[in-house]
Amino acid sequence: MDREPVAGICAEDVTHYQDLARQYAKKSVLPIFQDEYSDGNLSLLPDKLKTAFEIGIAAAPDESLAGCQYGIWGGALEETGIMPSVLLLSVIAETCGGIAMCLHAQGVASNLLLGVKRKLPFIPVRAALCLQEGFCPPFIGTVISPDKDAPAKITTTAVLKNNKYIINGSKSFVYSMNDVDAYVVLGRVNDQWGCFLIGANEKGVERTDVGVRTGLRACLVEHVRFNNAEIPPEARLDDGDARELVIRALNLNWTGMAAIATGIAKGAAGAARKYAAERYQGGTQIEEHPAVKMLIAGAEAGIASAQATVFSLQDSSLDSLQKLRKSAAAKLTVMELCSRAVTDCLQTFGGYGYMEDFGMEKRLRDVTVLKSASGSPTYLKQIIFDIEKEGAL
Amino acid sequence: MNHSLEERIEQLKLKNATQKMNAFGRLLVDNREMSLWEHDTKTLSWGVRRWRRKALKFSREYIRPLAPQADLHPHDYDPKPILAAAARHGFQTLLLVPPLGSASIIPYFRGTVFQVAVVGEEFATECGGLALLLLAHNLGMAPLLLSGSLRNIFRQMIPFYLKSHILGRPECMAFAITEPGAGSDVEETEGGAKAKLITTAKYSSELNGYILNGQKCFISDGAIADKVTVYARLEDEGIESWTCFLVERGMKGFSVGRSERKMGQRASDASELIFDNVFIPKKNVVGKLRSGWANNRNVLNYSRPVVGAMALGHGRGAFERCLEFCRRTNLGPKRLIEYQDVQLELADMAISLWAARSMIWQSCKQFRCYQSGSASAKVFASDTAFKVCNQAMELMGDHGYLHSNGVERLWRDSRLTQIYEGTNQINRLALFEHHLSTDFKMPVE
Repeated sequence: MDREPVAGICAEDVTHYQDLARQYAKKSVLPIFQDEYSDGNLSLLPDKLKTAFEIGIAAAPDESLAGCQYGIWGGALEETGIMPSVLLLSVIAETCGGIAMCLHAQGVASNLLLGVKRKLPFIPVRAALCLQEGFCPPFIGTVISPDKDAPAKITTTAVLKNNKYIINGSKSFVYSMNDVDAYVVLGRVNDQWGCFLIGANEKGVERTDVGVRTGLRACLVEHVRFNNAEIPPEARLDDGDARELVIRALNLNWTGMAAIATGIAKGAAGAARKYAAERYQGGTQIEEHPAVKMLIAGAEAGIASAQATVFSLQDSSLDSLQKLRKSAAAKLTVMELCSRAVTDCLQTFGGYGYMEDFGMEKRLRDVTVLKSASGSPTYLKQIIFDIEKEGAL
Repeated sequence: MNHSLEERIEQLKLKNATQKMNAFGRLLVDNREMSLWEHDTKTLSWGVRRWRRKALKFSREYIRPLAPQADLHPHDYDPKPILAAAARHGFQTLLLVPPLGSASIIPYFRGTVFQVAVVGEEFATECGGLALLLLAHNLGMAPLLLSGSLRNIFRQMIPFYLKSHILGRPECMAFAITEPGAGSDVEETEGGAKAKLITTAKYSSELNGYILNGQKCFISDGAIADKVTVYARLEDEGIESWTCFLVERGMKGFSVGRSERKMGQRASDASELIFDNVFIPKKNVVGKLRSGWANNRNVLNYSRPVVGAMALGHGRGAFERCLEFCRRTNLGPKRLIEYQDVQLELADMAISLWAARSMIWQSCKQFRCYQSGSASAKVFASDTAFKVCNQAMELMGDHGYLHSNGVERLWRDSRLTQIYEGTNQINRLALFEHHLSTDFKMPVE
């Protein structure tokens, strides 16, 4: 078993988090794939996610639950840094990227809720973040200067009327576990960001599944529309400007997705190594063929770089723009490295890599979705450039 | 005169600026306003152009409406109607010229598979699975033609063609070389020499024919084919004895095993074929005994440019859908297509596709396809197609991975073209092998 040298976290803790994730992956995630389902038997998923809450891997805003502090993106994030969550996500993603994405989405929403000091009208167990609208995540500055010739504007608005916030607008590509209790919605209040907690079954909340997708199918993806949804003022999470929460949400989102991609690629490389040692062609194991060696070695080198990039995100504040720039750059490069690694590992399987039997095609589908999701490369490049530009933020 | 910036930009566009040239100068500037597709089509000879237009029409009319459901539920659709429609339109008989087949005569003798490649690209823009369903038939038929045996051509290929072309019967053929323990091995010389093959044919003097035993896997159209060209070694001999046999559906002992569950190209089956003491009459031996290896390698030389063309089709399909998405999607105050970074990316995709198309067309513009040309075209086109599909998905952001937008389906389809007809690594070695005695000659000590 490898032990990752990780800055800012002791070796025992690394081992602890990795072992915890490995146990969960082995006992809960792996059984989903025992029948002939390319994405696992998803009817077993609710039970497996319940286990994640029980053993404290899944974070929840409810302080009575085990993962509240030390679950993925739990409340202890300021104290431990991102590394425990990165390790957990990465190890789980080696077995299933979709389940890792479920836990990640739950964690991001929980983290925003756990940061609220005042009493909320209700505490959900399962929550999801609603940030993106239409084509891509917001360009941070556009809500501040809505009249500027900026490429995107936040159209979800909250208006205070009769001591209630009225929310209107629609959010797209909301990732979550199934059956969420509430949404954490980032929208516009006058010309500033606001962050709100809205019950999933509130009047005026409409949810639509996005339909058949390429990958990460264990994770639910919806479009959520708010049509005059009314919430009490206490359900506003920020103190007048939620810009820092937007930055934090994007930071966590991209860091977590990069960690998941690294895990998927590591899983693919492990499977390729194993297959190459077992499969014979040309009278010898295929690991003896230079073509296969080159593919696997190239993939492993790419994964090492990707992992180093993700680990480098450990030391900086989650609410800073500089960190946001780093996590955008990390998502951009890590996705490229990991998708290249996965496709090369799949290639070593020949025709079998394309079939559902070995799970390689699932890994490729999953990592490809991660690359486009919540910030495509074009968008990320734009935001990396814009962060440095005065006035854009 | 004071012109606005827009007016000045308008004046500087080549088409308008040309008006200031003299008549002869104007004649030398190509200012025709036509699409990328039309521009390329105009470069083709009349016969090939005709098939390109016909295939585009067919793919829009027949393949497009069927594609999403055939991909989602491959076992719930009937492939026979589309096979019959393709046969009626002459797409299933392009390996021979009239009156026996349907290929345009002069282009056929200038490039045997050129017309098939052109058709393959058009079909694949709509659906990789349905394109494979229709085109794998040509692959199954090719050993009969390339065996050079008039006996096989007249007795087996032509009757099949006539039924298909004249009666529009939805019959199809499949090509079976891959075995569970030998995938890449049967597509490359060194691997072939060491391959462990299980499909064998034993001569029976009593029955005056061969008894076939063994198994093949990943056979495209294997589950629906009426006839299959199967390669088997002769008993107690190695792969050098490989012989091609024509196995017919209904022959005793011939059955179809499991159908693979694939990531893409799902509308076409990839099946396991099982031969359990199947009696093959002597007349069903394709070409000469022990000529199978050469026949197989030559079939690959002819089929690889077509696979490259199919890959190109996947890339083009993804590009066209992405372009349409960029036209109709707003980002802030403007359409996506109005942003320069999006334009750069779209242009890059179009350039890549044009390069791949040029290579494919070049590789099959001769009567005999050759190993290095075919392998190079297949590798470049399939790598390019996968790259373009990825670019399209990325440009569309989260919308790229939705099945309803069609791009992700083509992305899944395109990945297979880097694997079948020899993995791209095997194809690279094929290029090297072809020129081993010339360009890549080993130094003499």
